[in-house]
Amino acid sequence: MKGDIIELPTRHDEAWRWADLRHAHDIGNTLPPANDMLPEIDQHWLDIPGLRHLTVAGHPVGDSTLNTTASPDRTLPRHPLADLAAASARSGATLHLAADEDGGTIQLLHIGTAGAAHSVTRVELSAGARLTLIETFADERRDHWLNHRMDAFLGEGAVLVRIVRVKTAHGLVSERGAVSLASNARFTQLVIASAGSALRSEAHVTLDGAHAHAVVNGILLGDGHAALDALTKVEHRVPETSSNQTFRLVAAGQSQVSIAGGISVARHAQKTDAEQSLKALVLKRTAAANLKPELEIYADDVKCAHGCTVGELDKGALFYLQSRGVPRLQAQALLTQAFVADALGVIKEEPLHSALDREARAWLEART
Amino acid sequence: MLKIENLHATVAEKPILQGLTLAVNAGEVHAIMGPNGAGKSTLAYVLAGREGYDVTEGSVSFDGDDLLALAPHERAAKGLFLGFQYPVEIPGVSNLLFLRTALNAQKKLRGQPEVSGAEFMKAIRTESEALGLSMDMLKRPVNVGFSGGEKKRNEAVQLAMLGTKLAILDETDSGLDIDALKVVAEGINRFRSPERGVLLITHYQRLLDHVRPDFVHVLAGGRIVETGGPELALRLERDGYERHAA
Repeated sequence: MKGDIIELPTRHDEAWRWADLRHAHDIGNTLPPANDMLPEIDQHWLDIPGLRHLTVAGHPVGDSTLNTTASPDRTLPRHPLADLAAASARSGATLHLAADEDGGTIQLLHIGTAGAAHSVTRVELSAGARLTLIETFADERRDHWLNHRMDAFLGEGAVLVRIVRVKTAHGLVSERGAVSLASNARFTQLVIASAGSALRSEAHVTLDGAHAHAVVNGILLGDGHAALDALTKVEHRVPETSSNQTFRLVAAGQSQVSIAGGISVARHAQKTDAEQSLKALVLKRTAAANLKPELEIYADDVKCAHGCTVGELDKGALFYLQSRGVPRLQAQALLTQAFVADALGVIKEEPLHSALDREARAWLEART
Repeated sequence: MLKIENLHATVAEKPILQGLTLAVNAGEVHAIMGPNGAGKSTLAYVLAGREGYDVTEGSVSFDGDDLLALAPHERAAKGLFLGFQYPVEIPGVSNLLFLRTALNAQKKLRGQPEVSGAEFMKAIRTESEALGLSMDMLKRPVNVGFSGGEKKRNEAVQLAMLGTKLAILDETDSGLDIDALKVVAEGINRFRSPERGVLLITHYQRLLDHVRPDFVHVLAGGRIVETGGPELALRLERDGYERHAA
């Protein structure tokens, strides 16, 4: 039985033109079925030390030292799906770190079952605090909709590293990170999606203090009928802030992978240094990639470098590898791995980097 | 070792090789010379198995196997090496990763155990030192930012590392200054042995001053039209290919 009718964006809206929200339309507010069975989840954790917290269909599972209330930042601008998450979430994670506190690594695993589940992660880092947050979305081999928002505030000099892993095979994941940075704060995000289903991933970052720096990267690996869609907006609101966006999209099968990468520089935000590189690799002619850089620059003393390319694997390089003894599929995997390496390189911390690298490599070797 | 008989090949349906016959035995160095457009590079690519180079007639056997039935990587694992006229740049893949991947892929196909990291590093250190390519360069992406000479030295390092039996070197002397030419020639001479064969494709006699071939062939119009000893190269240098013009 369907729940209340909910208002969803449509493809007529430019910001949603590549988003595949069919599952959201079909599932609406249908609640997940009551089920005491715990799904198989072990394979979804990233194999690194740190606190772990599991949410199944929007419900916290097991004992956790985390504060599992949903406490969205209600001062943020309206957003159709983020507002819905705020209104419907029955649990979440609220992470407040005191000044100079090191929160280590926290993994949040969101498992979708049938039906719709909404959740909210709230991060408040006081001055000088540090946290690595890994949010993973996976499913139980059934159609579902996981709708998530992550609202973060980074105080002066605070450091947040956020990894978003999307490993769903069915349904839709819509997730939105809204992050605001005070002076000297650092935010690094990497979305790494190897999903066979639908994804809408948004990042809205506002640089509100001088020398704040944001890195917003993504690796979207589409296969089958996946529709993976990312949208970013990095707002430079004050002078002397910097940002870097690197997205690498790989389209196999009949998938569609898309990125609309936004940079906006306010009129008085002089000395902004923003870079953006969007690249897509189309492995099969049946797949598609959409790339759209969106730059709104109102200040005149700024550096905004951007590049945007779509292509296929370099046939010359492929033959060169084969002629040295590397089988075609392995050669394709190696070249594709090299292609996504730029976006992955931003995560330098070990063992996190190696763990993510292994995952990306496994996907590529299986698909190319 | 290599036996090519009546080979016909097309590129984009245009006939390029038209009845080429050639045999290379172990221990021999054969030079193939010829005017532009004669089919020299096509011969190299056909032997290595590049897509788009279609054999329409004839046969090629390599150590008794039907070479044309093998995929490019299988030909490499059998010991065939193509030295490229223009070695390809591969951003994001280091030379070390590239070579180790290639070496282990070949070993896997031959049913041999993979080479350990330590063994590999020891071997590559020796070869790169001999060929004047620093380890720093080998840590960089394949051929990216390399000069023409460095690319050819890199080819020579690969030739030495990959257990090659037959080296087909496609205009390996093009774009080299005299010093680099000597280094590459030395690489070829180090490679020469009674068990190995070399097919040197070149425009000029210059390389043959440093690598003395056993046989020199003239390739024109897609066929071998004349065969001789090293003196043939000298005559070609003096008189050109006019007498072979169709």
